[in-house]
Amino acid sequence: MSMLEKARRRLGDRGARAEPATDDDRLLSELRLALAPDRVRFDGAERSLHAKDASVFRGGVAGPSCFPVNTEEVQAIMRIAAAHGRGVVPRGAGTGLAGGAIPLGAPIVVALTKMNRILSVDTDSRVAWVEPGVINLDLTRHLTPMGFHFAPDPSSQQVCTIGGNLANNAGGPHCLAYGVTNAHIMAMEVVLADGDVAMLGGLDPEPAGLDLRGVFVGSEGTLGIATKIAVRITKNRPAVRTLLLSFDSVSDAANTVSGIIAAGIVPAALEVMDHRITVAVENYVGAGYPRDAAAVLLAEVDGLDDGVGIDADRIAEIGRQHGATDVRTANDDNERALLWKGRKTAFGAIAQIAPDYYLHDTVVPRSELANVLEKVYAIADNYDLKVMNVFHAGDGNLHPLLLFDSREPGVLERVHAAGKEIVEASLDAGGVLSGEHGIGVEKQAYMDRLFSDDDLDHQDRLRRAFDPGCRANPGKVIPMGHSCADIQALRRVPTGVWG
Amino acid sequence: MDLNLNGDELNTCVQCGLCLAHCPTYRVSGDESMSPRGRIHLMREVQLNNAPVTHEVLRSFETCVQCRGCEPACPSAVPYGHLMETTRETLADAGLMTPWWQRLAMRPLAHTKLLGAGSVMVALAQRGRLVPKRLGLSVDVPFTQEPLRASGTDVIMFTGCVMDAWQRDVHQAGQRVLEAAGFGVTPSGDLAPCCGALHAHAGLADDTRTYATNMMRTLSRGAIADASIIVDSAGCSAQMKDYGHLLGTEAARRFSSRVFDISEFLALHLDRLPEGSQLAGTVAIQDPCHLRHVQRVHEATRTVLGRYIPNLVELDDDGLCCGAGGAYSVMEAQLSGQIRDRKVAVISAKDPDLVASANPGCSMHLGAVGVPTIHPMELVDRALHG
Amino acid sequence: MTATGTGGRLRHGPGVARFAADVGPEGPVAVAGARTRWHSGGEPVREPRLVTAPVGIVEYKPDEMTIRIAVGTTVAELDAALAEHGQRSALPDRGGTVGGAVVVGENDRDVLSRGAVRNAVLQVSYVSSEGKVVSGGGPTVKNVSGFDIPRLTVGSLGTLGCLAEVILRTNPIPAVSRWFETRADPFALFDALLAPAALLWDGVTTWIHLEGHGPDVEAELVRASALGATAEVESPPQMPGPHRWSLPPAQLRGVGDLIDGRWLASIGVGTVLATAPQPGRELSASVTAVHDRMKQYFDPTGRLNPGRDPGRR
Ligand SMILES: Cc1cc2nc3c(=O)[nH]c(=O)nc-3n(C[C@H](O)[C@H](O)[C@H](O)COP(=O)(O)OP(=O)(O)OC[C@H]3O[C@@H](n4cnc5c(N)ncnc54)[C@H](O)[C@@H]3O)c2cc1C
Ligand code: SF4
Ligand code: SF4
Repeated sequence: MSMLEKARRRLGDRGARAEPATDDDRLLSELRLALAPDRVRFDGAERSLHAKDASVFRGGVAGPSCFPVNTEEVQAIMRIAAAHGRGVVPRGAGTGLAGGAIPLGAPIVVALTKMNRILSVDTDSRVAWVEPGVINLDLTRHLTPMGFHFAPDPSSQQVCTIGGNLANNAGGPHCLAYGVTNAHIMAMEVVLADGDVAMLGGLDPEPAGLDLRGVFVGSEGTLGIATKIAVRITKNRPAVRTLLLSFDSVSDAANTVSGIIAAGIVPAALEVMDHRITVAVENYVGAGYPRDAAAVLLAEVDGLDDGVGIDADRIAEIGRQHGATDVRTANDDNERALLWKGRKTAFGAIAQIAPDYYLHDTVVPRSELANVLEKVYAIADNYDLKVMNVFHAGDGNLHPLLLFDSREPGVLERVHAAGKEIVEASLDAGGVLSGEHGIGVEKQAYMDRLFSDDDLDHQDRLRRAFDPGCRANPGKVIPMGHSCADIQALRRVPTGVWG
Repeated sequence: MDLNLNGDELNTCVQCGLCLAHCPTYRVSGDESMSPRGRIHLMREVQLNNAPVTHEVLRSFETCVQCRGCEPACPSAVPYGHLMETTRETLADAGLMTPWWQRLAMRPLAHTKLLGAGSVMVALAQRGRLVPKRLGLSVDVPFTQEPLRASGTDVIMFTGCVMDAWQRDVHQAGQRVLEAAGFGVTPSGDLAPCCGALHAHAGLADDTRTYATNMMRTLSRGAIADASIIVDSAGCSAQMKDYGHLLGTEAARRFSSRVFDISEFLALHLDRLPEGSQLAGTVAIQDPCHLRHVQRVHEATRTVLGRYIPNLVELDDDGLCCGAGGAYSVMEAQLSGQIRDRKVAVISAKDPDLVASANPGCSMHLGAVGVPTIHPMELVDRALHG
Repeated sequence: MTATGTGGRLRHGPGVARFAADVGPEGPVAVAGARTRWHSGGEPVREPRLVTAPVGIVEYKPDEMTIRIAVGTTVAELDAALAEHGQRSALPDRGGTVGGAVVVGENDRDVLSRGAVRNAVLQVSYVSSEGKVVSGGGPTVKNVSGFDIPRLTVGSLGTLGCLAEVILRTNPIPAVSRWFETRADPFALFDALLAPAALLWDGVTTWIHLEGHGPDVEAELVRASALGATAEVESPPQMPGPHRWSLPPAQLRGVGDLIDGRWLASIGVGTVLATAPQPGRELSASVTAVHDRMKQYFDPTGRLNPGRDPGRR
């Protein structure tokens, strides 16, 4: 053995010594037998890596991390987990913002990134079968030469997985006209917590039975693991027009949005950015946004040539009626791409300004947008925080970003307090807790603001119908006080594990 | 363990994961531990939380190709390349990384005349089981070639080490193109034997500093003291542009500002390039990582080639690395091969006649599995001189 | 009465309270709507007490494109109210009530333009097996707060709760709606057209329903005509019936071999109306297990709409 090897072994032992004993050993050997030794990991590095996703939340650490490559392996993991009374956390790319993929306690983490094949594309049925680890944008790239795309386009689409999109019912700018992920999932094969495989939904329009597929979408990994997914594919539109409207106030932009919807137009996308973020984006990518507008509205219509022209003209007109100071139409694909690049790199632009940000996600009725935004600014002021707003205005989905520097003492408390008030302001206006990021661990404590005990009790029944032992992604979504959240044994954190 | 990383740089990562899809090792493995976000997380755990430097932690660092594809993808502008270089340097100094034979194999690169001997040493070492078998090199080393001759002092043509011995044709093409654009050329030859890129990647930054200091001295004297330094290997130009950061001196920054990739330089002097003829055939552009992600001047390749090649095609993978990565293809042959397989599939989808790549490492790596690669300058030279 | 109170939770009006009292906590009950799909999923058993859901539009927000409606209201009344503001919904008007349409879950003929019922129900309130009023979902068009109780009700035949109120998504009525007849290949038509509202095929003739801005409809017509002569017709064909098949759209190419008697297939959708019934579609054992548990947890005594089985819908 070389010196280096020896040094490494020593270091490895040091990491391993802290780990708990026998049940883990048995669990590990069973998992390794069922999968392959190198696809079941239990070292300190891996356990700490899988303790996080893109959110700020931390819970426990990964028990073993498993990387299955097919449905049978996922089944085996579920059965072994059941036999050992362990929880199981599915994980896609780990870009979730509500802590959905973080382990609480030391559950088995099942990373689905190695199940990433596009299995088939059928243009008659407008469906593609994919494995859950396929990256959203990879699917669309694959479909482009055939004249199709996968409609949900979250800002993280270059990296997030279809499985994660399904589990979080992801949205994106173009979900206004085409609907969020749920409208684009036709069927899926799932492995339930007891290891049984079930096919939910179907390629036919009205499958028999309850809509278990619809229920599984957005369930944040708490009902089982999706192992094959039939997604609807959408025909590319021959004509697209993108308008950029500038306003003197955020309210004017928000009111224009309600005006457009009220006029019976359903654009492909309606996105608003406030002054601060517009300037930041402009500094970052130079997309051609006006630096002096209080807010800009990016409106896109698509379809056939004439209709697109008609809708674009009406949007321009409605904008002017609501005080638009400038209305510009992108002249060509380049200009269009540049405007979208600006919108889609908004988070990047922010990262250039402040070291940390907290991104909120609530939905309010579109007619309440202006009113709630005013409150958001007031709340941020009150806590002496900088806030920027960039949001899916068309469906009332707010994304206030609170900027801060975590090195500043006490700032996190202020950020959380302001966040709480923003959520409450949204609920007071008749809104809901989340439009696309989900509940995860982030918003559990707010669930009882939106739902009564009986309402939550029924959500818990739904969950247990799939997973009576509450072992799929334990401790998520349903708040404490309801049976599935209260199974403490699943939440114990082992001692002595780093991360 | 203190990895000597700048705390502020380390903290800029917000763990958003947007870089994952642009990382070749994550792409082929799906492992968080082989992703930029994962590697940064482990750096943090080691430096800030005193986590042990285990075998797995080292593997995470060692498997990084240092292609820096993660950098342009990162909204928070995390200086990943520097973090990884410093990490490797610290771990190498602590004796935890870079086995001795790997260092040995790299020594001779500094002496052009010894390069052949260097290869022999590697081969000997291989036979002596000091180096794994997979250290197979795919290119025959040509021994006798026409030397480059100076034609003026407008620009310096950096001829480097690996490139000079193995791909002298490319230098000659590049020199002819520069001359066609009216620049008198001085080849650097023995004045600047190595840029030190391979050493820097292996965490041997001190060696790189030595090469840098020497080169800055020899290329900043006499008639060529202020001449632009033209480089036709993207890995070398990237390294030489980084001397400013590496040495942290004003002189080094000034030196770095004289360095241009050859396409970058020609794109700035497009008006001086002769008409030439139009080349038939489809050419796919394979951007070397050090051109695209590090120097971010890959558009220049298109600007220059576009003048002579009507059928230029783009690959559909956002410039994902091909897996060559200097010594990486030897040290991590399996991963490197998987990354290359992916690249080959992306290339095949476009079915090009030729693949233009401005880095010898990439060309050799892809050429080894039959991809017909060519340096952009050879294409331009063909268009200009038939 | 408004849809929102302070802090998000739903408030209900007297109609819902009355309905909850009617359903009560015990004894078999069945909800009677307009009985247009009374036999869907099986005959009622155990001689249930019949109750009727509350009626009336609770709150219509045309500029939000949402409507909150008590589900005893007929779809015809819903359509009339929406039409006043140039809107419509995904629910098909087959003479029944809103509640019936939701729990049966059949899509409209023009599902390609109106959307599927399962995607149209934003929020639900129902009376549980224990006689309590329970709500799920939310009032906004986008929402991922908690489990998707609304989708659980679509197609449930009221076996998990007695539906009282829903909030539906609405959409604008297109400017122009025209029908055409052609002998062109329906599958080629489906490929060629960007967004037909319906493409109905009886094996010989295809009827094309085009909707949208006038010039767009003209443009689509040009594409359709390129594949074969088209003639404008007043109305869609007489629907064969009474049976409804649900097939993967790709199977429609061979639908003639599959179904005896007359049929009319919706290309790209997979619904086929036919004179012969579709053979029973078995649920797998694992799906049945989830169904059974769902029923057991939501309605332990099996008192809600007894005899109905969503699996035999
Ligand atoms: C910069 C940035 C921008 C974003 N923009 C958007 C946006 O515009 N719209 C939007 O909706 N979201 C957005 N998100 C959030 C996130 O990207 C999405 O929620 C995405 O769908 C998560 O996918 P993932 O593969 O990363 O899943 P993960 O984060 O790994 O997991 C998310 C949840 O899904 C579960 N899960 C994963 N795979 C499966 C499976 N196969 N079966 C069952 N459960 C599974 C996990 O347990 C977890 O609860 C953004 C995130 C970032 C960092
Ligand atoms: S440098 Fe390349 S291999 Fe290394 S983490 Fe970044 S993208 Fe991955
Ligand atoms: S390196 Fe950049 S892109 Fe990658 S996770 Fe960190 S902040 Fe995000």
